[in-house]
Amino acid sequence: MTWKTQATLALLAVAALAGGASAQETVKIGIPVGLSGANSVVAPSVVQSSELAAEEINAAGGILGRQIELIVADDGSGAQGAQRAFDSLVFQSEVDVLISMETSAARNAGLPIVNRGRTPYIYTSFYEGRSCSPWMYVNAWVPEQQVAPIVDHFMAEFEAKTFYLIGSDYAFGRGMLEFTRAYVEANGGTVLGEDYLPMDGSDWTAIISNLRAAAPDALITSTAGGAPNVTLTKQLRAAGVDIPYGNLAVDEGTAKAMGADATGIFIAASYLTSIDSAENKAFLSAMEAKFGADLKTPNDLSVPQYEAIYAYKAAAEAAGSTDAEAVIDALDDVAVTGPRGVIQMNKQRHAPLTMYLGQVLADGSVEVISTFENVDPGEQCPQFSG
Amino acid sequence: MTILALDIVTTALILFVVAAGLMVILGVMKLINFAHGAFLTVGGYTAMVVTDAGLSPWLAAPAALAFGFGAGLLIERVIVRPLYDRPLDAILATWGLGIVITQLITLGFGREVQFAASPMTGTLPLGDTEYSAWRLVVSGVALAVGAGLTALLYLTRFGLNARAVIMNEPLARGLGIDSGRVRATTFGLGAGLACAAGALITPLLSVDPNMGLPWLVNSFMLVLVSGVSIPSLMLASLLLGGAQVLVSSFVSPILGGMTIVVLAAALLRINPKGLSLG
Repeated sequence: MTWKTQATLALLAVAALAGGASAQETVKIGIPVGLSGANSVVAPSVVQSSELAAEEINAAGGILGRQIELIVADDGSGAQGAQRAFDSLVFQSEVDVLISMETSAARNAGLPIVNRGRTPYIYTSFYEGRSCSPWMYVNAWVPEQQVAPIVDHFMAEFEAKTFYLIGSDYAFGRGMLEFTRAYVEANGGTVLGEDYLPMDGSDWTAIISNLRAAAPDALITSTAGGAPNVTLTKQLRAAGVDIPYGNLAVDEGTAKAMGADATGIFIAASYLTSIDSAENKAFLSAMEAKFGADLKTPNDLSVPQYEAIYAYKAAAEAAGSTDAEAVIDALDDVAVTGPRGVIQMNKQRHAPLTMYLGQVLADGSVEVISTFENVDPGEQCPQFSG
Repeated sequence: MTILALDIVTTALILFVVAAGLMVILGVMKLINFAHGAFLTVGGYTAMVVTDAGLSPWLAAPAALAFGFGAGLLIERVIVRPLYDRPLDAILATWGLGIVITQLITLGFGREVQFAASPMTGTLPLGDTEYSAWRLVVSGVALAVGAGLTALLYLTRFGLNARAVIMNEPLARGLGIDSGRVRATTFGLGAGLACAAGALITPLLSVDPNMGLPWLVNSFMLVLVSGVSIPSLMLASLLLGGAQVLVSSFVSPILGGMTIVVLAAALLRINPKGLSLG
């Protein structure tokens, strides 16, 4: 055996030992997220808040004494990319849990893989509701919590009776607007039109002209987060549309990136940077300290991600292990206090949330108009009501 | 009704300006430039760099034109020229070039969606209605590009040479026209036009590494249908772009997104020459 072969073997042995040791010691958290595609505006902020949570937990001794290892995979914001990302996280990296904010298309594509791999999954993005899996919990809002504040405000404040709905053609866009239409009609309003463009579409010309021809009192949109939201808003502003405009899919970070075009948009969110609590201030200053100039504005997608990692820690510690079934059983019972307040996913795998109705100001910050305490998510997954 | 007409006309003119660069290169070089989409993307990022540097957003399109022309000359010399005798390989090379450019942009600027400042916002009053100011500006620029290209082809020495090369390259060479130089200039011009078009459409869109791709497909279809002629490209844009707006407005915007491709395929099936006047 030459010295080279010996050295190589020794190196392999060390690597194998190190690999074996770390596989036992770390808790692997898989984060499939849309680093490219529609979600790429917001995904970096989600990765940042995950990194902060992992760093804080690791500094305080980890989960059950084991350090956290984050494994981020790009899901391309869509179904195909999500299948690859989930497959590699669940079956190759063999993560202990998946915690992520994703498009509904990506989540729906990933769920069968989660079910097959029997991996706990905490979904941290607001979505259209009624997605149920024995392995999934959700700590962000559903339409029952989010649509009502905007529609009620438009009806009360602007005496809006006629609405126009515009969205991206996928589960979130259609699901949110279906709920919105039902809510508007149940409250005596009329929906004059409902139009969709494919997720990767960017030419809203015809839809905007239809909107202008219909002359509604108010507009509500629900696109995929990121690019479609931006192109729609830019083209609406370029076409001079200035009726009350509620955007169901814009977060504070995207609103800031959009600049002047976002001014005046109404949003309803469970997190705004202006929330006045000790936890939120501590979170914001920790983010500031960790990322400095590279900090992406924390928002209604990145904060639930941060809290979900703490929720997983609490559940694993309550269960006394990272065993998938034990963690799933414990997740309803743990309440975690984070920047959004106390969150417990105890309503059919969903969480009651305090919602804020806000309006985007010229500098990109969001002014809170009213607050709705502990809004119930309603009937989401009755099979888990027990 | 006025709005619908404006939608059709502006959509057609935007399609025209986006496809013009592809047609120029196809005409002289008999080369479908599949890097066209990537050139559009480069234009979008040029606009972003210009506005981020604090320069006037009005400079975005001229800067993109200049940058595209320079880059086009370089690409022609390094990648396209060695493949003149292998037209099929040249097409493949442009496809690969498109991928390389997209990856370089991803490396340099990241994968995320970004924004460039818009030179003007809001609407202009137009008769009894008002209409998106920037769409009107782009339409005006498109008309100017059409007129400029026509003038270039029919009123200048370069145009005369280019037309000679288009008609019969060996004969043109025999008459002492430096066809290599004509090809190089044309590729630069096509790339410059594509970049400028990318910068022009950016204020209506956001900037990301794949922003040019959907436009490449539509441009390709338009040029296939129109053949190499400025008036017929204008006609094809008006017909297919108009159909897209009508389908989007009255049937469904989702079907509208497919109209150009489907209609172009149908047109070519019925008349393989498309709308070509020549």
